[in-house]
Parts: sequence; structure tokens; C-alpha cells
Amino acid sequence: MPPPGGFQEIRYKRNLPFRGPSGAVILAGVTAVCAFGFYRLGLGNLEKRELQRERVWSRIYLVPLLLAEGDRDAYRRQQAALEREKEIMKDVPGWEAGKSVYHNPKYRPAESIVVL
Amino acid sequence: MSVYHKPDSAAHPYKDPAPLPASVPQVQELGTTSAPLKSAAFFIGAYCKDYNDDFMLCKGENRDPAHCLKEGRRVTRCAQDLITKMRENCLQEFDKHWNCLELHNQEYNHCRKPERALNKCMFEKLGLIKTIPGSPEGKTPIHEVKNPVYTGVQK
Repeated sequence: MPPPGGFQEIRYKRNLPFRGPSGAVILAGVTAVCAFGFYRLGLGNLEKRELQRERVWSRIYLVPLLLAEGDRDAYRRQQAALEREKEIMKDVPGWEAGKSVYHNPKYRPAESIVVL
Repeated sequence: MSVYHKPDSAAHPYKDPAPLPASVPQVQELGTTSAPLKSAAFFIGAYCKDYNDDFMLCKGENRDPAHCLKEGRRVTRCAQDLITKMRENCLQEFDKHWNCLELHNQEYNHCRKPERALNKCMFEKLGLIKTIPGSPEGKTPIHEVKNPVYTGVQK
């Protein structure tokens, strides 16, 4: 005979504890994080380009100034070299100091050998 | 007799003692180091545009250093003038900005705060605006972006 109140219910459901979000949720989360990361990367690339532009233009604006200063120094050295050449070659008849070895009026920087 | 010294192994760098010929008018060299120059670069570009363009056009004609001495002197005098004016009007901001550049590898993006103070001062006192040619239209120029991606280096 059954006990009063009936038999105990049969436990047939599986007893599985909750073990974190499902695969779909994780996948969605990872996708979201990656998407945000790539978005920032894109923004950063655009920004990098502008930073490079800024750097380049800061240099371009300084070029005339630096070039002018360098030119004055180069001219001073040129004239000094010319004087030296005149002094050294004064006994050689027909020597033209500072005469280019090329038959071309185009400017060429002097050879960079320094004789002390 | 003169002896050849190899420049790469000489004890002292070779310095030519001869001064500039007297026929060339003397001009005081700027003597500013790299960080203040970088700090002032955009203002030099704005303030001395005519002289700079003139000089570069002259250099385009002929690369000979003797060809553009006059234009070069103008360029230097103009920069001198600007640096003097900057120091008269915005000395504090200027010093702060270039010291920051000096300490941060001379990168503009690490020194936006002092830079904004300097830009503001330069606009109010001298009416000079920093503009970067070629930046995309309709977008905030990079030096005025509020929340940039690339900020200072973590320490």
C-alpha cells in the first residue's frame, strides 16, 4: 500500500549547475570587443596620419630658416677655401682659383674633403 | 705643410676660422635650439610666410649658397623678430611648451595642454593661428581634438 500522501515524486530532471554564459553569448561578447578594438584602431590610424602631417609641416616651416643659416655658413667656407686656393696657387701662372672643372654653369657642392 | 686629418677619427671637429666676407651684411644667427624651434614652427610658418616663400623660390632658381644670401637674411631676421615677440608676449606659455617638448621626445601629441595655452596666447596677443595645411576639411584639426587616441606615454 502507498504511504499516506502518496509516493515521493520521482526526480527525473538532470541536475546541471549554471556554468557561465552560453557559447553564443561569449561569441557575441568577443565579437563586440574585437569590433570596438578595430574601431579604435581605425580611429588611431587616421589620427596617426594627422600627427605625421603635423610633424612634417612643422619641419617644412623650419626648412627656409635652417637652409638660410646653413647657406651662410657654406658661403663663408667657400670663400675661405677660395682665398686659400689663391694663396697656394699664386705662383702658378694662368691658374684660375675656384674655376669649375665642369663646362656647366650649374652649381655643384664642393668636394667634402677637408685638408688641415 | 698641411696634413690630412681624417674627419671621422680626428680629435677635434674641423672648424673654419675665416669670418664671413665683409661685403656680406652681418646678421645675428637665431641660435635657438630644436625644441623652441619646433614649438614656434607653425607660428614661424604663419608669420614669415612671404619671406620663406620668397627664399624657397630663390633656392628653386639656383642651389648655389651665394645666390640667396639676401633672401636668407630676411628669413632669419623675420624668425628673430617672431621669437622676440613670442618671448615678449607669451614667455611663460612658450617656455612651458618647449620644455614639455624637450621632455617628451619632441612629440606634439604629448604636449597638447601647454600647446593649447600657447596657441591661445599667440592668437590673442599676436593674432597668429596654427594651421596644418592639407588636413581633411570639416574635421577638427589634430591639435584641437578633445579625446585623442594617441595621448602621452604611460610611465
